[in-house]
Amino acid sequence: MRRGWLALGVVLLAAPLAFQDPFYERTIALVLLWAVLASAWNIVGGYAGQVAIGHAVFFGVGAYLPLLVYTHWQGVPLLGIPVGIAISVGIAVLIGVPTFRLHGHYLSMATIAVAELIRLLVTNWEFVGAARGLGGPASGRTIWDLSYRSSIPYYYIFLALFALVLGFTSWMEQSRMGYYLRAIKAGQRAARSLGVSAPRYKLYAMIASAAFTSLAGSLYAVMLGFVDPDSVFGIMVSVQMVIMAALGGAGTLIGPLVGAALLIPLQTFANSLFGGQGNGLTFILYGGIIILLSRFEPGGILEIWNHYLARKARKGRTE
Amino acid sequence: MNSTILLKAHKVSKAFQGFLAVAGADLEISPGEIVGIIGPNGAGKSTFFNCLSGELVPTRGSVIFQDMDVTRATPEEHARLGMGRTYQVPATFEDMTILDNVMVGAFLRHAHQANAREEAMRVLEFTGLVAQADHRAKSLGTPGRKRLEIARALATGPRLLLLDEALSGLTPLEIQQAIALVREIHRTGVTLVIVEHIMEVVLTLAQRVIVFNHGEIIATGRPEEIANDPKVIGAYLGTGRRSRRSAAMSSLDGHSA
Amino acid sequence: MIALQVVVGGLLLGAVYALFSSGLTLIWGMMNVVNFAHGDFVMLGMYIAYLAVVALHAGPLVFTLLAALTLSILGAVVYYLLIRQVMRGPMLAQILSTFGLALLIRYTVFWFFSATFVTLPGSALGGSIKLGGILIGIPQLVAGILAMGLTIGMHLLLTRTTLGSQILAVSEDRQAAMLMGIRPDRMQALAWGLASASAGVAGALIATFYYLTPTVGESLVLIAFVVVCFGGFGSVPGAMLAGLIIGLIQAASAYYIGPVYKDVVVFALFVAILWVRPQGLLGTV
Repeated sequence: MRRGWLALGVVLLAAPLAFQDPFYERTIALVLLWAVLASAWNIVGGYAGQVAIGHAVFFGVGAYLPLLVYTHWQGVPLLGIPVGIAISVGIAVLIGVPTFRLHGHYLSMATIAVAELIRLLVTNWEFVGAARGLGGPASGRTIWDLSYRSSIPYYYIFLALFALVLGFTSWMEQSRMGYYLRAIKAGQRAARSLGVSAPRYKLYAMIASAAFTSLAGSLYAVMLGFVDPDSVFGIMVSVQMVIMAALGGAGTLIGPLVGAALLIPLQTFANSLFGGQGNGLTFILYGGIIILLSRFEPGGILEIWNHYLARKARKGRTE
Repeated sequence: MNSTILLKAHKVSKAFQGFLAVAGADLEISPGEIVGIIGPNGAGKSTFFNCLSGELVPTRGSVIFQDMDVTRATPEEHARLGMGRTYQVPATFEDMTILDNVMVGAFLRHAHQANAREEAMRVLEFTGLVAQADHRAKSLGTPGRKRLEIARALATGPRLLLLDEALSGLTPLEIQQAIALVREIHRTGVTLVIVEHIMEVVLTLAQRVIVFNHGEIIATGRPEEIANDPKVIGAYLGTGRRSRRSAAMSSLDGHSA
Repeated sequence: MIALQVVVGGLLLGAVYALFSSGLTLIWGMMNVVNFAHGDFVMLGMYIAYLAVVALHAGPLVFTLLAALTLSILGAVVYYLLIRQVMRGPMLAQILSTFGLALLIRYTVFWFFSATFVTLPGSALGGSIKLGGILIGIPQLVAGILAMGLTIGMHLLLTRTTLGSQILAVSEDRQAAMLMGIRPDRMQALAWGLASASAGVAGALIATFYYLTPTVGESLVLIAFVVVCFGGFGSVPGAMLAGLIIGLIQAASAYYIGPVYKDVVVFALFVAILWVRPQGLLGTV
């Protein structure tokens, strides 16, 4: 087990060396970014089993704050990070407190509604750039602007972030919170009879999830140097986070990375083949994948892999 | 404040959209008792249980546990105060291991993983499940699941344990084993309230029996008294089972073959 | 006078909301399943109407019936192929299944029609009339009245007919219904067909006075959620009342604050409802 993690660590650290082409370098940076996002969603969606489909709101808030700091006060974008996290956590509490007392559907609806609400507000608010969006520093003024031409530094920034999320999730798995979340997912009623405060722990998970998503959004905006409402608050962001975690294996440590590693290259490929329409095709593909997953194997690829291993073990024993 | 009473239900009633499932039930449990609750299907036993454990809020009346008013308290607050329960249809955490199931319970009083694990192992030994600690809960049959539920609830360190039909669906041998376990639990100082179907079990285990019918308590007393009470016998022979009927169903009744 | 016009316009639109929302609430109350694709069912109704006019030169009655028929079949098929199995599984699968369906339907239509808006070509329902000093578009008037009538009809169907009682019986107590010889599976499929038909008809009606776009399902389903939450989950009369109120609020927001804000206000209202009274007007949580 330990060796597996070590091997993974080495592969991830060395990956950029395998690629010389800026296109591929950017792709792997994005794979890691989305691995972070999917892992963040995984905390509340995979472990706690709460189906939030509006995480774009946290991503977007995190993305806008650094560029707001730059645009209005010429400040260092990184200073926007804590503010972004604070606002995202506030939104998480706003949604979570009433809905975690209720049946799961309410959370799903509320998250979609709030994400859409914020997107509409941002699109019509001059202060944040309305539909045009906001830009960042054209070139780095100081080292703190984190303005690089190559994707490779960003790759390592996202890798560090991924290690952080993974570390948190791993710690959480073994702690009381992890056990409680799994219990809530497995049977909320029974969990409560054992003293598990379901609304409270679900909220904790949501807050952690929102904070990490916001952080990733901020770093994404710093990398891109530009944000607009549709690209960061749009439903595509929310859907991608969910599908990557679910496809890889919701509630597992590396499921989200697996999902991201599969879907980002696929999406990039589809985009380059079909150009503008690529986006529509991606959604059709995602819709189909989600339906197949829910219908046949909600546990995702890792679960399929487990079945395969179990079958091999059984066959091995009978031979 | 009378602190020799562990649990007190005072005129508890529960209505669902016009249907009165429990009507004015009174109950007093002293520490160290084993009390049985019996009654025909639909008599309101489970609903009453759910009112005691916090899963339902009574429409009227109050529930006092260890001198604290828990009428409107959440199930988790009940657990923290020392009330544990099991379910008629076992609700174990299927995909988690047996050890992990019990650890969830243990975490209530032990915040650290190592301590919770230690406590869970102790409870598994006590309930005879330690050999299967690493198996998934879903690999257990019904008797195993019922035992796991008891272990899980025990790990929360309850003063009062509510068992909802924990012995139904078991073979005679399994029933004997379960009765032995319940007695062991009682010996450690836990007070027990047991809802049961099977008369023999209640007569063997309970010191005091309460009989429900049509949402009301129709008799209480020692097992021998209850077994010979004509009212109780009449209730079981079925002088009209009440069931929830809505307008839709009643209208259909007129149409059904 | 303008205020009255806003009110009437809002109520007429609200009646259409009530129609498709009652389908959503029926399913939710019956099976604890929320159809995230419900808004896209409405969208399909709109496009079926459009295609019927363009390809078959169909009149309003024909394309409305066509939408109802197509969507009811789709609803039943979705139930049998997807919902029935997924209902028994984890919550993640339940919620994702209809959500994935929504994406699939929405972007398949998008693939064919892309983002360009279309409108129903020259229908006999154009124009407006002046009633009591206010100007009302004829399509809106007809749509609103029809929608109200159909919603009331649905309620009567559920509460006054044998079939309706059977559906409600399954919704209230599955076991007891089975003991009466009712097949829950069949009733649930029927409910899906009925709910989807209501979405299809609502779409066909909307198409007579509004432009068509493939992604409209996303906001329509959210409106349906708000209506259903506001009206109380499982309650068709609740959906009726709430639909009218939401339509009114939307019209007022659009007029007094700005057209963009008609959705914003509704979503904000949704969050407020969740905090203050999640069981809605006529429901119990």
